[in-house]
Amino acid sequence: MMIPFWAVVKKELTSVIRDRTIIISILIQLFIASFSSALLLGMLSLYDSDTIMKFGGAGIKIGMVGVESPLHSFVAQRGLTTVPFATLGDAEAVFFQGGVSAILVIPEGAQDTAEIKLYLPDNEAVSSIIRMVIQEPLKQYENYLRGQNGIEVRYTDLKGKPSTSFEFIYSVLLPMLMFFPAFVSGSMSVDSLTEEVENNTLPTLLSAPLSLNGMISAKITSSVIIAIVQCIAWLSLLQMNGIAIQHSGWILVLALIVAGLTSTAAMLGAVLLKDRERSQFIYSLILLAAASISTLLNISPITTLSRLAIGDAYTGGWDVALFAVVLAGLYLLLGKLSHRLVR
Amino acid sequence: MKQILVIAWREVTRLRKRFGGGASPIAVLLLLVVLGLSAAALRTTVSLGSGLYRIGVSGDVPAIQDSRFSVVEVGADEGRALLEEQSIDVLIDGSQVIYREDDKSQFAVRALKQYMEKAELMRVGNSFADEDAFPLRVGINYLNPNQPPAENLQGDETAPVTKPEEVIIPSLTSPPAPFTQVLVALLYILPITFISIFFTSSFMDEKVNRRLTILLSAPVTPFQIILGKMLPYAIFALATTALIAVLTKGNVLLALAIFAPTTMFIFAIYLMVPLFYRTFKDTTFIAMLVTTMTTAYLVFPAMFTNVNDLAYISPLTLAVKMYRNEPFGWREYLFPSLPMSAIFGFAMFAGTRLLNEEFLMGYKPITRKVADAIYLMMARVKPYLSVPMWSLLVIPIVYLTQVIFLAFATNLPVGLILGAVLIASAFIEEVVKSVGIVVLAERHVVGSFRDIFVLSLLSGLGFLVGEKLLLLISIGMVSQASVSGALFGAGLFLLVPLAAHFVFTAIVTLLTVKAKLPYMLALIIGTVAHFIYNWSLMRGGL
Repeated sequence: MMIPFWAVVKKELTSVIRDRTIIISILIQLFIASFSSALLLGMLSLYDSDTIMKFGGAGIKIGMVGVESPLHSFVAQRGLTTVPFATLGDAEAVFFQGGVSAILVIPEGAQDTAEIKLYLPDNEAVSSIIRMVIQEPLKQYENYLRGQNGIEVRYTDLKGKPSTSFEFIYSVLLPMLMFFPAFVSGSMSVDSLTEEVENNTLPTLLSAPLSLNGMISAKITSSVIIAIVQCIAWLSLLQMNGIAIQHSGWILVLALIVAGLTSTAAMLGAVLLKDRERSQFIYSLILLAAASISTLLNISPITTLSRLAIGDAYTGGWDVALFAVVLAGLYLLLGKLSHRLVR
Repeated sequence: MKQILVIAWREVTRLRKRFGGGASPIAVLLLLVVLGLSAAALRTTVSLGSGLYRIGVSGDVPAIQDSRFSVVEVGADEGRALLEEQSIDVLIDGSQVIYREDDKSQFAVRALKQYMEKAELMRVGNSFADEDAFPLRVGINYLNPNQPPAENLQGDETAPVTKPEEVIIPSLTSPPAPFTQVLVALLYILPITFISIFFTSSFMDEKVNRRLTILLSAPVTPFQIILGKMLPYAIFALATTALIAVLTKGNVLLALAIFAPTTMFIFAIYLMVPLFYRTFKDTTFIAMLVTTMTTAYLVFPAMFTNVNDLAYISPLTLAVKMYRNEPFGWREYLFPSLPMSAIFGFAMFAGTRLLNEEFLMGYKPITRKVADAIYLMMARVKPYLSVPMWSLLVIPIVYLTQVIFLAFATNLPVGLILGAVLIASAFIEEVVKSVGIVVLAERHVVGSFRDIFVLSLLSGLGFLVGEKLLLLISIGMVSQASVSGALFGAGLFLLVPLAAHFVFTAIVTLLTVKAKLPYMLALIIGTVAHFIYNWSLMRGGL
């Protein structure tokens, strides 16, 4: 019984390796991973004021016209260079010579609603950067004015470190690299079964000493093997790049279970529908539905994975076991329904 | 025309049968459930960093409703102990925030800061009068830095502003960012891709059950078959585009004009999938590749709307502009649309040549299959015409590939970007110029030294004409992008680049055909030569 099973697994694996198109899937993952990191980096350097300040903040000179006010020190604290002027005319003369990038005018006599004016160059790229870096001092000034009005705003002194990269790596990049292979292996399972049906090779395969369920399980096993090999590779690549990942054993178990889930679900669709076109369609819908449901029920494997990787104190093997239970249930269901394939 | 409509109608019936049968109730039900659930899931904002932070609260703290934070209520002392043993990342005790010095806690503090700022704003806005809660008004004016006023300004005089003043409240006005509009624009692409996958699988289905073979023996041309099968899906895709435009309150006609070339482009690429696949797994992988690449190609540039003119490579940029009510001209419209339409035309041509039983059914390594395809496309006319035409017609594809390279290269350290892009584009240029000649020589259509020299010259000429035409369109558009000038070899003198193209192509083809070197090796040699030429040209030019 076991020997024909592994023969089918081996046949599936060699066919995948021989076709070489699996390389495309690996390239896609590399592309998405590098591309989204590049995108994030690009976005950060264009749309994140902290990053802009880090790389060129002191080069941005702001002309300040009018009475001395706390705004001056807020702007200077942000790391921008301030240049005082007596009148707007003086400041504009320097602006047109390229001496300052923008001008802030603070009117005399502070009323309840202070109205200050900001003069920017009519060039969207430059003006949007200045608006981004000057946002923080303006908000601080606003809070100062609120304080003058007797309104206390809490939690204004929080600082911390920019968290975007951290959030991106653990909640987007890592789940993407661990679950994309699972998504692909489900798709491959559909292909592999429906191809046998549509090319009429299924009866031949079943005449071998292997039950229908054994054959289906062998196909699922080979898809899962392919997925988990990729996951191990990505995980070690990430760690080689200096990204700390806790609980990597549980992470691989989780990735294995999810690959099993997608492949089993995909097979279920293929067994019921028997052709590639509809099975793939239903498979993608099932995935979408499962992703939405698990997010709604707050047991998303993505969150579990992120928490495992950052070493969350309340997340461990039991959270992974939950998904194993779902997998077992789904597999039993497939075993009950598989006879529909040959009917 | 009648034949096309007949085939289109046949396609509609086929679809109805396939999805109208046993699976339909399940599928429709599932679809509805999925749509409902996805909408519900999206409403609870699946955000970056979902579930990453654990926060302890104690005392009077505003409710924290954000998927990034899991909140536990603790006593003040218990909370400090949990914070100490790293079970929670941050403790909020009344108006006091307590944290550790390690990275994880600091990240949580920054995320919390962003959230609390909004929450406090809501509280202040709700419980105080507007003038007190929002005491600051900032008037924004724009000056044109390139046009200083004629005379020197005296005293209170000031320069004219270019736009009417815009008054903002800093805490309520976030700085401009194109994200939301890019996401809306992305909404258009998803259905088009989805529909074109159905188009592909219909083709594949008929290939497997040999109906396509029967159709090919009927008195219809391959062109009519492809167009007929494409028609229902294309109409459906355009109808979806119009629907999205209506739902998102966009300009329907403008949206159709923007996305018609995009639809054609995506369909053109998906037409290639059933022609080249050998097994079902191939299809899955190739379709995934195509989806990823086209989405990246379309979305990435649009992120830089108004930041860089190169953003116009993507039609989504035009859509973003449409939603911002900003005008754009014909040149901006044609810049993304022309290459896409050209690729559609090329794919239709390739499709009509490749749609025959022998090509469809043969199982060969994918590289052989591509070589066969190139041969079939070139075989019907004399090599002296087909080789330069090939080089000319694939220019849009080369151009799109180079743009994707550029996106890829942004990953590299800054010093390497230019070099890597130059090498990659030299490689792809050498491939397209030489591959036609090599394929023809392999099948003994051409063979003598004279043939190969003349064909290399013609191929270089075709390529040069194509790239100069492209340059002509883009030069006005992308004036600031000196990188693109280098990519397409903006030499001043036309004979030098022609000679260069000729020499490199001749090197590659002669090494392959006469010296019997592997094609890959010959390509690498040609690429290195081409790269050195481009590099020295740029050094001289800059």
